[in-house]
Amino acid sequence: MSGASTTQAISRSFGELDWPARIAGLVGALSLIAAFAAFIVEPGAVVFPALVFVAVALYGWFAHQAETARSLTFLATASTLVILGVITVYLFVKAVPILRQMGASLLTSAVWDVHGGRYGLVTMMWGTLVTTIIATLVSAPLGVAGAVFISEIAPKSVREAVKPAIELLAGIPSIVYGYIGFVVINSYMMDLFRLPTNGSLFIVGLVIGVMALPTVVSVSEDALNAVPNAMKDGSVALGSTDWQTTKSVSVPAAISGISAAVILGVGRALGETMAATVILANVTQLPEPLYDVFGNTITLTSAIASQYGVAAGRPTQLSALFAAGVVLFVVVLALSVVSQTIERRMQQTLGGDQ
Amino acid sequence: MSQMETQTTTGETEEQIRDEWLEYDFEGESALSVEDLDVFYGNDQALQSISMDVPEKSVTALIGPSGCGKSTFLRCLNRMNDRIDAARVEGTVEFDGENIYDDDVNLVELRKRIGMVFQSPNPFPKSIRENISYGPRKHGDIDTGLVARLLGRDDRDEEEELVERCLRGAALWDEVHDRLDDNALGLSGGQQQRLCIARALAVSPDVLLMDEPASALDPIATSKIEDLVEELAEEYTVVIVTHNMQQAARISDQTAVFLTGGELVEYGDTDQIFENPQSQRVEDYITGKFG
Amino acid sequence: MSESGGANHDRANIVTETSGVDRLAGVPAVFGAVAFVVGWAIVFRWVHVTDVLAGVTYATLLSAGHVLAAVVLCAVGVLSTTGVVDTDPDDSTGLFTALAFGAIAFVGVGLTASQTFDTGAGVWLPASVVALVLVTVAVLSVPEDLGVTLPVAAFELVVGLAVLTDVIGPSWTWSPHGFSASFVGPIAIAAFAMVGSLLCVWAGTNASQGFGSRGRELGAYSLISTYAAALLAILVLLIVFVVQNGIDQVLKGAQLWPFKLPFVLNGYGLQYDVNGIFPAIVGTVWLVVGAVVFAVPLAVGAAVYLTEYADQGRFTRIVETATNGLWSTPSIVYGLFAFAFLLPRIQNNVTLLTGQLVLGFMLLPLVLITSREALQNVPDEYRDASAALGVTQWQTIRSVVLPAAIPGVLTGVILGVGRIAGETAPILLVLVREPFSASAPSVIGSFHFTASAPFVTNEALLSPATALPYQLFAVITAGVGASQEFGWGTALVLLCVVMFFYAIGITTRIYFRRKLRQ
Ligand SMILES: Nc1ncnc2c1ncn2[C@@H]1O[C@H](COP(=O)(O)OP(=O)(O)OP(=O)(O)O)[C@@H](O)[C@H]1O
Ligand SMILES: [Mg+2]
Repeated sequence: MSGASTTQAISRSFGELDWPARIAGLVGALSLIAAFAAFIVEPGAVVFPALVFVAVALYGWFAHQAETARSLTFLATASTLVILGVITVYLFVKAVPILRQMGASLLTSAVWDVHGGRYGLVTMMWGTLVTTIIATLVSAPLGVAGAVFISEIAPKSVREAVKPAIELLAGIPSIVYGYIGFVVINSYMMDLFRLPTNGSLFIVGLVIGVMALPTVVSVSEDALNAVPNAMKDGSVALGSTDWQTTKSVSVPAAISGISAAVILGVGRALGETMAATVILANVTQLPEPLYDVFGNTITLTSAIASQYGVAAGRPTQLSALFAAGVVLFVVVLALSVVSQTIERRMQQTLGGDQ
Repeated sequence: MSQMETQTTTGETEEQIRDEWLEYDFEGESALSVEDLDVFYGNDQALQSISMDVPEKSVTALIGPSGCGKSTFLRCLNRMNDRIDAARVEGTVEFDGENIYDDDVNLVELRKRIGMVFQSPNPFPKSIRENISYGPRKHGDIDTGLVARLLGRDDRDEEEELVERCLRGAALWDEVHDRLDDNALGLSGGQQQRLCIARALAVSPDVLLMDEPASALDPIATSKIEDLVEELAEEYTVVIVTHNMQQAARISDQTAVFLTGGELVEYGDTDQIFENPQSQRVEDYITGKFG
Repeated sequence: MSESGGANHDRANIVTETSGVDRLAGVPAVFGAVAFVVGWAIVFRWVHVTDVLAGVTYATLLSAGHVLAAVVLCAVGVLSTTGVVDTDPDDSTGLFTALAFGAIAFVGVGLTASQTFDTGAGVWLPASVVALVLVTVAVLSVPEDLGVTLPVAAFELVVGLAVLTDVIGPSWTWSPHGFSASFVGPIAIAAFAMVGSLLCVWAGTNASQGFGSRGRELGAYSLISTYAAALLAILVLLIVFVVQNGIDQVLKGAQLWPFKLPFVLNGYGLQYDVNGIFPAIVGTVWLVVGAVVFAVPLAVGAAVYLTEYADQGRFTRIVETATNGLWSTPSIVYGLFAFAFLLPRIQNNVTLLTGQLVLGFMLLPLVLITSREALQNVPDEYRDASAALGVTQWQTIRSVVLPAAIPGVLTGVILGVGRIAGETAPILLVLVREPFSASAPSVIGSFHFTASAPFVTNEALLSPATALPYQLFAVITAGVGASQEFGWGTALVLLCVVMFFYAIGITTRIYFRRKLRQ
């Protein structure tokens, strides 16, 4: 494995150094490890190893710049991996107590009983599932249609204005959507659709879908744009219309990128927190009947956001929230792996003709 | 320099001389007649007032140094230049009694009747079979979809027949007949180019524009393509761009020579162009002194 | 059908003759476009269905339009199929279109049977399945000109008559079983207008090209363009809406000379005549600065190592997968982590530093991914050329690779900053004690050097702060009421800050991409 060869390369370049440099390298590495350890055990003491490290790094930079640069970038990689690893591991570790207590019923029970100390995630998972489905139904077809418009239909001048505008709109913070949803859409829906309560999964799904739209449009447009013009020309020169070309050549050739865009949109919808938190009333109860999308429930994300303050004093509840985080993390990671695999395949199919 | 000499000896202007060189009388109908065609890419002019008549059911070769506008000219003949944002075309191209640059021209119908094979192969990322039947499918001539099958209007036999005929026509059948369902992107460059020729044949156009169809082929495949072109000329009008002088001499009935700057310098019977070129520049180009 | 065999079969003319049908088909298309706008106007409550235009209510106008469109479409279909006008239809409409009409029939019949006639699932389900199959088969078995026009005409006729005869009038309500929502007449009429209008635009433009492949092209294009226009309009309206609601608050008490912009430059408290969000703006700035200082060197360093030094293989791929996964991890998960892990370790209290760190953690994967992309986009020829001159690897990286990659890295950082500046979820519980605070943190002025460990302290970094997105959240949790204005103002400022970063990021990206292509 290349990790091993990396280590070898490091030790080889280490061997080429003179004595002071070797000692400096060793001291630097040790001090950094000490700093990490100190942060976990005794945060106040971080400053000493950190100072040592800075001193060593400065010495290295002036005495052996190339080696120092290499070591520093390696350390940056290692630190990044350690940080990301700590986040992941910590998430899982903190979820263990509730899993011990509830066992499999953590994932099969809809009970969320703070006083009885019994927690099941089904209600939240249902809420997340429903909002994600609604959001995907909004963002996927409309997003792909928008991408087709920008890349295949719109004249050049329109395309050059609309594409950056859509990218810009992808940046609207979710709390702004949430605020609009909370202040305007909630009362609108109560008024016009006579909803009994403030907020519903339907509104959240809709808002999240609109929120994810620009991302889906922009990423699928990139995929459509990557289809070589020569391929489209070949279709048009056979006397097919532009629309037939889009349907039979461009979209099939870009389908991996488009699916990656849709998956990205699904990921966004899954993880969207603020809009759900402020629009929903966060009732920890399944809607009755289950398919009542106008009902008021809670999602995994809004459960964490709305409860982790109060859960601070109750370790089991906090642990249950970590379990919700783990569920989210696992699903999102799976989606991300799937979309990366698809994208890699796309590069292979399209790479063949270039 | 040599032009200057011509000019002084005959006392004619350069323009008149060139018009003479371009004058080409042929018997029969012309399939395409180009009149004062200018093409601009942004502010750069790629073709300078080209006028020529392409006789029908014959092979017309376009030769000239790289970058002189042969591909550009070819793309004008079925309005593929419409698809380049920067390109602007002025002048007329008459086909079937109509100027193809008129507003009410049906581009789909036009391109069905004037087919094109591109300079670099561009097969679709689909199976070989689907590549061939793509055009007829889009024109509704072949339908093997679910509904057609249910209604008993399935054209799979026609499709098989068409695929075989076109692949044989493009000298590709023997190599791929046992893997028609493989992805066309898995073919070699030369095979891909022949597939593109077969794909164009499947639409059976009146005019076939070929942009260096043999540039990526080995000698055997090349000679097959050459045979094919000569065969095609019995029914189709073929306009072919080539860098290979011998090829142009072998297969074409008439040759047009473009030179750098996008001008058509000489146009006439292939034999006459190669054996007795009027212009010194063309002679230099053909004998390899220049270009 | 296998005509494609010979070269000399009958050729269509390359010029299309104009027949009267294109003008006739324009009627439903134009009605469709108008009805689409009116439908949205009703949804947005700019007009009400009972409002009167030229003596007639909108409801009546719309339904009359539906009926007119139906009649015209019928006429077009019949004229075309009898050969009175010259068109070019296929033998049959496509399967997808047929199924779409079938689905509309399914929904229509199902709703009518279950709601109007109150039948159980034993009746309405088979009934609607039969409708689906019948309509699909019927559409498939007629030529394209009828298959396109007649189903749309039927839909238009039904909804037009339903509204005209007041079966579904403005005062109609429908409360489906099992749902908490009720549907009222105006919404139904607007929905009819929007669905019907899209169908009309599609069928009308399709017919205007004489059906066939060009008809389908124009039909699809006009449908998608209509939708794209609506999408853009809605997204733009969203921004306009925020601006409209927030601008008064932002400009409250503002003046040009001497310059005053109290909402933006004041704190929140009794000492101010206009309460403002200055502390939150400064808080956001420091959050972003801290996150960048923390994350960018780490991420860029790691990207350099992974791209330039490490062997490309399983190790780098795993790192890539991990960073991609963490980039899409929901931000609230970072918040949860920070709350449970960082908070107890830093002052055991909410602090600016914790907020900076958690946003830095979020920024880390993004900057790593974009920097790697930028480094990978530097052509290998650069490295080879430099190496061929006998320059060491580090010098090559420093003087060739990094400068070439800087635009890409910068773009990634800017877009990432735009993203984290608007994030609320991660800082919910780690940053703020007093959301509406009177004074801004003064980080620069708070550095103190001491003789003993830890030698340097910064009070401001270790104190609570506030941030723009949090402030907006706080307005919501404080309840709707007098503070709504304040919320809109905050939303507008937040939007401006985030859009500013995005605009810069996108512009630099476009600029450098153009330069790369030349
Ligand atoms: N899409 C385009 N945009 C701008 N300029 C172009 C474009 N296509 C071609 N040109 C320019 O037009 C001129 C003619 O190009 P063209 O491709 O027609 O040459 P060619 O004769 O086919 O050359 P070759 O034999 O190398 O294929 C060239 O100078 C080229 O740079
Ligand atoms: Mg060329």
